[in-house]
Amino acid sequence: MRAADNPFTVQKVRRIRYRPAGGVTWEALLARLESLGYRAAIVGPHGRGKTTLLEDLAPRLEAQGFRIRSVMLHTGDRFLTRDQRKALVHDIGPRDLLCVDGAEQLSRIAWASLLARSRAAGGLLITSHRPGLLPTLLDCATTPELLETIVRELAGREVEGIQALFLRHGGDVRAALLEMYDRWAGGGG
Amino acid sequence: MEELIQVETVDGRTAFRPGDWIEGTVRWQLPKPPKTIELRLFWSTEGRGDQDLTVVETVPFESPDAQDQRAFRIRTPEGPYSFSGRLITLNWALEAVAEPGDEAGSFFITVSPTGEEIQLNR
Repeated sequence: MRAADNPFTVQKVRRIRYRPAGGVTWEALLARLESLGYRAAIVGPHGRGKTTLLEDLAPRLEAQGFRIRSVMLHTGDRFLTRDQRKALVHDIGPRDLLCVDGAEQLSRIAWASLLARSRAAGGLLITSHRPGLLPTLLDCATTPELLETIVRELAGREVEGIQALFLRHGGDVRAALLEMYDRWAGGGG
Repeated sequence: MEELIQVETVDGRTAFRPGDWIEGTVRWQLPKPPKTIELRLFWSTEGRGDQDLTVVETVPFESPDAQDQRAFRIRTPEGPYSFSGRLITLNWALEAVAEPGDEAGSFFITVSPTGEEIQLNR
């Protein structure tokens, strides 16, 4: 199979957008964020949809008049680079809402510095693997049913063994979908 | 539904060798005149990992009307070749993009010494 024909390419998976579940709605999320003064954290382990939720909140916040300024941190990014600092906090004002994906990567000093500098902004929204950096907006969770729905949408049909796949990856949907990619690439789809 | 922006090559040709000229036409029917329309020749990857994307040439179309068409002529670069394996596919495409807005039309091509996508699995 050509890689581009695999239904589980990273690019196709990324087109799957965040689905509020368990009674949570976009309106409720935005209302809670407002009640937290637009300073909050999206929390959860790997593969729970934190980044997707952050990305999908951004246009809704822009529609409220915020100017979104984002940086994405990766493993080992203990400090913001000069370019990241510029993108995030240069000349900020109350219309700016700062989004930091992977804030748990920052060192204590870098986090304290960012917190201090973000006071001039209209808000600070982060994702983090652990709670405690900011009040929690949402603790992201996944379910076997969610994985089943996503797999069905991508594969275009029902696929067996999703419950076991979900358990094997401890709820990490991204890792589960990578296994599905490998299964399809190996002809086991 | 018909695309608002269409990219076509002469005779619908999709296979090109490095150094070949790609000739064609971009046609659009938009609700109002765009500020700019730009044709981009680019390659991108799709597969198990993150996407790489490089625009190798752009052709701006000046003073576009809402309904208009423009001819283009672009030379294909020496590489990378179009290829596909289990982990990654490298696609070439022409894409015309109108701004402001998000209207775009695209046309996939292959670029390789044979004009066909190179299969890594064989």
